[in-house]
Parts: sequence; C-alpha cells; structure tokens
Amino acid sequence: MAEEFNTESMLDMFLYESGQLLEKLEGIILEKQDADCFDDADINEIFRVMHTIKGSSGVLMYENITKVTHKLEDVFYYLRESHPDNVPHMELVEKVLAVSDFVTGELDKLKNGDTPDGDEKQLVEDLDEFLGRLKGEIKNQGIQMPQANKHVEPTQFYITPVAGDDSHFYRISIHYRSDTQMSNLRAYSATYALKEVAEDLLYTPDDILSNEASADVIVAEGFHMLLQTKSSKEEVIALIDSSEAEEINFDELSKEEYGRALSEFGREEAEPVVVAPAAAKDDGNKEAKKEGPKPGDYVVKTKEAGKGKTLAKNQPKQQSIISVNVEKMDALMDLIGELVIAEAVVLQNPDLKVPGLELSNFQKASGQLSKITTELQEVIMSMRMMPLTNTFQKMRRIVFDVSRKLGKDIELEVIGENTEVDKNIIEHITDPLMHLVRNSVDHGIEENAEDRTSIGKPAKGKITLEAKNEGGKVYISVKDDGKGLNKEKLYQKALEKGLIENKPINEFTDKEIFRFITLPGFSTKEEVTEYSGRGVGMDVVVKNIQSISGRLDISSVEFEGSEMTLVIPLTLAIINGIVVQVGNSPFVIETASIKEFVRVGEDSLISEPSGEEYIVLRGECYPFIRLNERYDLPDSVDKIEEGIIVVLEHEGSQVCVLIDKLLQEQEIVVKPIPPYVRKVKGLSGCTQLGDGSIALILDIAGLLMHDGERR
Amino acid sequence: MAEELMKKEETDETEELLEEDDSQKGMFMTFQIGKEFFGISISYVNEIIAMQPIAAIPEVDDYIKGLINLRGKIIPVIDVRVRFKMESCEYTDRTCIIVIDVKSTMIGLIVERLADVDTIAEDSIAPPPSLGRKEHEHNKYVYGLARTGERVTLLLDPEKLIKQDDIVAAMEEVRKEEQS
Amino acid sequence: MKILLAEDDFASRKFMDKQLSRYGECDVMVDGEEAVDAFMMALEDGEPYDLACLDVMMPVMDGYQVLKAIRDIEAQKGIPKSKRVKVIMTTALNDERNVKMAFELGCEAYAGKPIDVEKFEKVLKKLGLI
Repeated sequence: MAEEFNTESMLDMFLYESGQLLEKLEGIILEKQDADCFDDADINEIFRVMHTIKGSSGVLMYENITKVTHKLEDVFYYLRESHPDNVPHMELVEKVLAVSDFVTGELDKLKNGDTPDGDEKQLVEDLDEFLGRLKGEIKNQGIQMPQANKHVEPTQFYITPVAGDDSHFYRISIHYRSDTQMSNLRAYSATYALKEVAEDLLYTPDDILSNEASADVIVAEGFHMLLQTKSSKEEVIALIDSSEAEEINFDELSKEEYGRALSEFGREEAEPVVVAPAAAKDDGNKEAKKEGPKPGDYVVKTKEAGKGKTLAKNQPKQQSIISVNVEKMDALMDLIGELVIAEAVVLQNPDLKVPGLELSNFQKASGQLSKITTELQEVIMSMRMMPLTNTFQKMRRIVFDVSRKLGKDIELEVIGENTEVDKNIIEHITDPLMHLVRNSVDHGIEENAEDRTSIGKPAKGKITLEAKNEGGKVYISVKDDGKGLNKEKLYQKALEKGLIENKPINEFTDKEIFRFITLPGFSTKEEVTEYSGRGVGMDVVVKNIQSISGRLDISSVEFEGSEMTLVIPLTLAIINGIVVQVGNSPFVIETASIKEFVRVGEDSLISEPSGEEYIVLRGECYPFIRLNERYDLPDSVDKIEEGIIVVLEHEGSQVCVLIDKLLQEQEIVVKPIPPYVRKVKGLSGCTQLGDGSIALILDIAGLLMHDGERR
Repeated sequence: MAEELMKKEETDETEELLEEDDSQKGMFMTFQIGKEFFGISISYVNEIIAMQPIAAIPEVDDYIKGLINLRGKIIPVIDVRVRFKMESCEYTDRTCIIVIDVKSTMIGLIVERLADVDTIAEDSIAPPPSLGRKEHEHNKYVYGLARTGERVTLLLDPEKLIKQDDIVAAMEEVRKEEQS
Repeated sequence: MKILLAEDDFASRKFMDKQLSRYGECDVMVDGEEAVDAFMMALEDGEPYDLACLDVMMPVMDGYQVLKAIRDIEAQKGIPKSKRVKVIMTTALNDERNVKMAFELGCEAYAGKPIDVEKFEKVLKKLGLI
C-alpha cells in the first residue's frame, strides 16, 4: 500500500495538471476581461498553457482536446509573434473561455470514467475563422507574417488502461458430478479457456494444479471463478467446457459487487512492489536527469507464487492529489478526540488519588502531554481550513457571464479571498453565494446605465465580494451599488401574497421588511429570468445557510444599493457549547445561541387553555418549551422554579427552554447522528463528553420550527 | 460479505451456504431471548461488547434504545426483544451487545444472553414454518430453523432485522403526512 | 510485420498473442532475457522486429532493462532512429513516474493494463506499423 502515496497514475497527473492550468488560465482571462488587450506576459502564459495541454493530451490520445488547444495555441502564437493592434479583445476572451469550458468538460468526463467524446468541430471552425481574420489584420497592418507555428506531433503515446466501464463482471460456479475424475484439470481447462478473454480472473480453490487434493474440494464445493471481461455472457459460456458439469451458475455482478467479491476470494492487494532507490527519490530530478534512469534501479518483484494471479487491478478513479480525503481527516479527528478523552482518563485516574502520593514528576509530564494534544487538535483543525480563493474565482466567472448576457457593465471587486474556512462549509456556501451574486447582477444593478447616471452614479455598476473573519465567524458579503430594496414594494408584495400578518408597514422594522424576500414564495421580480429566480428563491439560500448554522443579514438603502451578508461559523466540526442536563440525559447547546440563563417563579408562567405555555421576562412574552415533555425524559425537574430557564435566540426569534441544571461549558466535537436513526427535529448531532458518554446537540432552528408546526 | 452478495443473487438457501467463505462457513453466533435461541451468521458480527451506558434518543421507534460510544464511533443500538414485540426485560450483567455490520451500517443488538458459536450444517436447516404460532412476530426476520441436538435455533437475517419495519414505518409516516 | 512479445503472465500472454497475431507474425517470450536474446538473433539474421511489446514486470530482466538493452544494442550497431524497433510497454504500473521513465528510456508507447485494444490499434497506426 505504501507506494500509493507517491505514485499517481498518468491519467490522474494529466487531469490534475490540466485542471490547474485551466484554473490559472481562467484567472488571467477574468482579470484582464476589462483591459483593452492582453499584455505580452499573458499571451505567453496562455500560449504555454495551451501548448502543454495540447502536448499531454496528444500523448494520451485525447484528440478532440488536442485539436482545440492546438488551434488556440496557433491564435496566441500569431499574437505573440506579430503583436497586431485592434485585436477584438472581448471576442478573444470569449474564445479562450469557450476552449477552457470545452476542455474542462472533457476532463470531467475523464474524471467520471467516461470517454471524452465532445465534438470539437464547431469550436475549431470558430477558432479557424477568428485566426483567419487575425491573419488578415496582420497583413493589413503591414506587419511581416511570422513563420507558421510549427507543431511537433507527439512521438510517444500513452495508452490509458480501459476504464472497465464496458467490462462485464461475472461470478461463475461450476459443480461437477460427484464421480468426475480429475476435476481439478477440468477446472483448469476452464480457466485456461477464459484467460483468452479475461481482463481479470480469480478462482478458488486457487491451487488447482499443484494440489491434487483440490480435486476433492472442487467436487464437494464446486469451482468458483470471478471474471472481468469485455465478452458477453454467451461468449463466455461458449468457452467453458460443460461436459461432466452438473450445474453451472452464472451471475453477472455490478462493479461494486465484484469489488466486494474480490475480497471474498481472498484477493490481497498483491500488487507488485516497485522498489525505487532511495537516492533517486531524495535527490530529486537533477541527479536523475544527469545520470539518466537506470532500468535496473527499478527492481520489480514479481507476484508471489501461489497467490491468486491478477491481470489487472481495479484502477482507482481520479484521486485528489493535494487535498486529503475528508473521510481520512474525519477519522484522524475522531482518533484525536479519543486521545483527548483517553488523556483525561489517565490524568484523572482515581488510582492517582492516593493520599500523600508524590506526583510532581507526573504532573510535569502530564502537562507536556496536554500541551501536545491541544496542539494536535489545533493542527487537525487548521488542516481542514481552505481559502475561499476558488469559490470567489467561480463568482468572477458568474459576474462575467451574467453581466454580458444582460448587457450590463459591471465591475467586480474582490476583497479577502484568502480568508480560510472549513472545507465542509465551503461546499455548503458555494451555491447560496452563487445565487446571491446572480441576484445582485440581475436584480441589484439597474437595467440601463441612464438610470444610474441620471441620479449621479457612475455608469458602470459595481459589485463587491468581501470575506472576513471576525470573532470565530466568517462574514461573506455581496454588495452592489444598484437600486436597492424598496420597502414599500416589498411590504405590498408580501401582503398580497399573504406571507405576512396584516399590520401597518410602520410596525415592521427595516430588517424585518428586508427579510420578507427570504420567505418561501416571494420573488420581487415578476418574470423569472434565466439567471435568478429559477424557482429557487432566497428561501433556499437561507435554508442552506441555516443547515450549517449560519445566517443571512440583509441591509439596503434605496437607490444606493444592497448588501447581503452570509454569517457562517468557521468550522462545523467544533463548536463552543454548554452542556446541560435534563433528567438523566446531557444535551449540548451552542453557546452563541444562548441569550441568558434565568431562574423564574411560577408567577412568570402563562398557561393557555390549549396547553401552550409562555414565560414573561421583563414584560416580554416568550414561547416556552419543556424539553423533558418534548422528548419524554423521565426523572426531570417539573417545577420551573427548581430548574433553569435558558433563553435561546435564532434569527431574531426567541424561545425559553426549561432544563434541570448546567453542567459545564466546553468545546464540542460535533458528530452526526448515525443515519440509521431517523432524523429527529430539534437535534443537529451528537458528541462525546469527557467521560465518554454521549450528549445530543440541540438545534435551535429545528426546535423553533418544530414548535411552530405544533401550533 | 459472502452471503450479502449471494442474497441478492439467489434465494436458494443451500446454494447460499455452499458459497460461503470457508473459515466462517456455517458458523453462527447464537444467543438467547426468552426461551428461544437465535443465530446470526458470524460473518456479520464485528464484536461482542458488554452492556454499557446508552444515550437515549427522543422520538424514535421504541426498539432503538439509543446511541453508544464504541471507541469514538457512535453507533445506534436496538433491543432485539423489543424488536420482536416482546416486553423489554431488565438489563443484567449477562446482557450484552452484539455489534454487527450490515452493508457498512454498524448497529448494536442488545441480547439477553449470549449462548455460543455453533457450527450448523446446511442440511440441518429447514425453512421456517409458514404458519407459526409463537414465532409469528419474528417470522419475517427468520430465514431458517436449525436443529442442533435438542435445541432449535432460529436463524436471523440481519438485513431484515434492521430494515423492513423502518421502511414500513417510513411509508406510514409519509401517508400520515399526506393526509394532514 | 514481425512482432516480439515478452510477457510472463500466461493469461496476459495469451490475450496479447491473440491480439497481435492479427497484425503479423508474433514471437512470444516469457522473460526479459529471452526477449533480448530473440531481439539479437533477429537482428543478426537481418530480419529485425518491427514491434516489441514488453511487459514491465518480468522475471530475470524487467521490461525497462530489456528496453534499455534494446536501445543500447541499436545505438551500438548504429541503427538510425527511424529504423529502430517500435517498443510498446505493457503494464499495470500506470503511475506517472514509471511512464515517464519508460519514455525517457525511449519507448514509443506505454499501454496501461487492462489494455484498451482500440487505442492500441490507433497507436500502431500512428507509429506507421499498420
């Protein structure tokens, strides 16, 4: 297994490198979209990117990619050599993006194990036509035509192994008649026949020739084979000699089943081990290049005899290269969590509590241990953090595409793209953020430049995308200097649609009015455009953000613009929580959502005949939830003066919850509740406390929702 | 793993047993609930642990007793008695948890007492009676009856044990929601 | 066309032999040393191979060593680059390092196993063999 760490397959390398290059390319293009032309450095860079992708796709024989990149390379070759003026810059930008999209699409197909079969003809024609005009321009301007760009056809090729997707997987069991002589030889002839079509073949018993006793085993238990092949069932059956066979079972397996069946057949990953000399590894390329590779250095140990022979291994598809599998990170995090608990068990071991025991050395050592474990925790947390750069890059592209389609002139400013956020969170915010950015371009910025200039604003609209990290939260805002939100309109619309209570507009705060747009069924624009309001509205954005315990803040001034801010936790995996007890069960409440703890008497309680209860605090009335009743917890406090009231706040709504007592405040490692247990409303996860017991984490949003539904 | 694959492929039990891994062939972890003995193919069994504190989860089926912490992995546990619609009985020091792994879902089964690991020959397994009296409730989880000596062991299908009802329950829930 | 096939794994050998025999006469060797011997012999007889398919993982001499030996012999005999035998490495070792090394040693193509027969044929065309 060890070699898996330093060997990436050829295809993975190609995907990775090309992906990186395209990302870089898109970065350059979007940065220079508003400039008049590319400068020499850009042209060189784009040329180089195309050249590299062309070369490597040529070696791997992805011809459509080669052709497209080849053409664009030509275009940039002429730009580089002749420096023509009057290049239609916007058109060029579009051409590059079109090529980039095409190649990205093909790479995605490869990643999914599909064949890159995109049709490049149209694109190549377009590029040809563009190149023709460019050459004409060069001639017109009296610049000497450079020599044609020389292309070196690749002389070396890499044939990617078949993806195995069109392979069939079979499990074949042959049961011979009990009086069959030398059944092992019959079994062998079956494997011999199959080897002609096999991509992979495993059989059990596997020592059919060398071990005569295997004949008895075969007669008694049958002979079982696993076969990977391109041939059809009929073709395979035709290959097997069925005389003497009493019964042949033939099952086609899915790839997954086959994978599982492999281990059942005792396939250890008997991969050949490539032993590379230490020097070649350590000294890097220089040394290796100078001396040239020595074939003998790579001693290849052949497979051990007697083990199941393997023709091929199931090629793993596309591994992430710099990023570690999140599952492994989670496993590591679990282990570290365990370590911390184990540490507590050792350090607070009752055996240490012998009176008069001299522990000063122990204390010193344990102090050191604690320091290391704390650091370890911090390191693993930091490993999960990723900058928002890529996410913001995507937003640039969206602003570019949408504003051009809508014919709006918009400038995008990006601030703080290096802000780091937990990887899980990045995955959750990309879609909501995209929606907000589209909204800003589509609805935020005015339709016509005149609408802007007439009120003294610059003709060019501006959208600012900003991320910052403050007090354990990340703020990501999308700000536009467009028309802003009209409170009156929002109010009318919400009223019309029956989304709000019928009360005068001045009884709502500005914030409340702005929040109308996040109500399901609310859309300020009558027509649904291509770019926003595709049936999914702001309510979906809010829901997504809430699912990672974040929130959306909206502020806006009419005619000046709006600002949408996503406030999200730095990390999902660790929260600051307060452990409370209800009955015999511990629960965790996120510290940030707790407003206060109070003790009140029976006189603060209002009970409605319907059974609803409210608590009055300082003249304000809050809904009241008894956790013990809600979750049917025995042995808990019933009288409210004996327990503690926790006032919880979420998105501006408050609720009071009755608990028995407070246990402690601590950092909580959030773990999901196993999916086998169906989702319980009001619980967002579980965690392990210092003593190894499990506490459930309360989800305030869910609790409020649940409460609302009940009413 | 072996049976898992086979179950999908075939329904014939004799075939199934033929195809099992050699080492675990015909081996069953047997345990006692009430007066009856039950068996689970050992290939599903991850480990046996002593009874431990269980964190209850509200608003779930009564047979899901809650969560336990298995070396940092949080897994649900179900009470097999309750699962069979029997009265739950008090947990004693004989009570233990069989941790099984069914299609990568880890689940703990609370059983009254562990009996043994038995090797059960395939020819001593009979299909369950179609009209059981007492067995009626758990009939749907039992795929075979094995006679070893004087004892009859009911062989359980763990996949059904942990699933089936949940699907039924989920369907009911959907129906309820649709009505309201 | 004259083809040299070196492959120790029987099943692979059978498979490849069947595939390659469509294009020409195929000599089959089971280890690296035999492959070099066969190559030498053919060269001395004045009937050199047009194509050599070398497995990487072989006993005695691995595919890389064979490839290097072949290229060394050719260099020694002053055979021009265009007349050299076309070499296709066949192996399940598809990591970049191994592929690059094979390229540096001077093979024409590197085919990952399981071999994509269609692409294999395409390469033969590109190499001007068929």
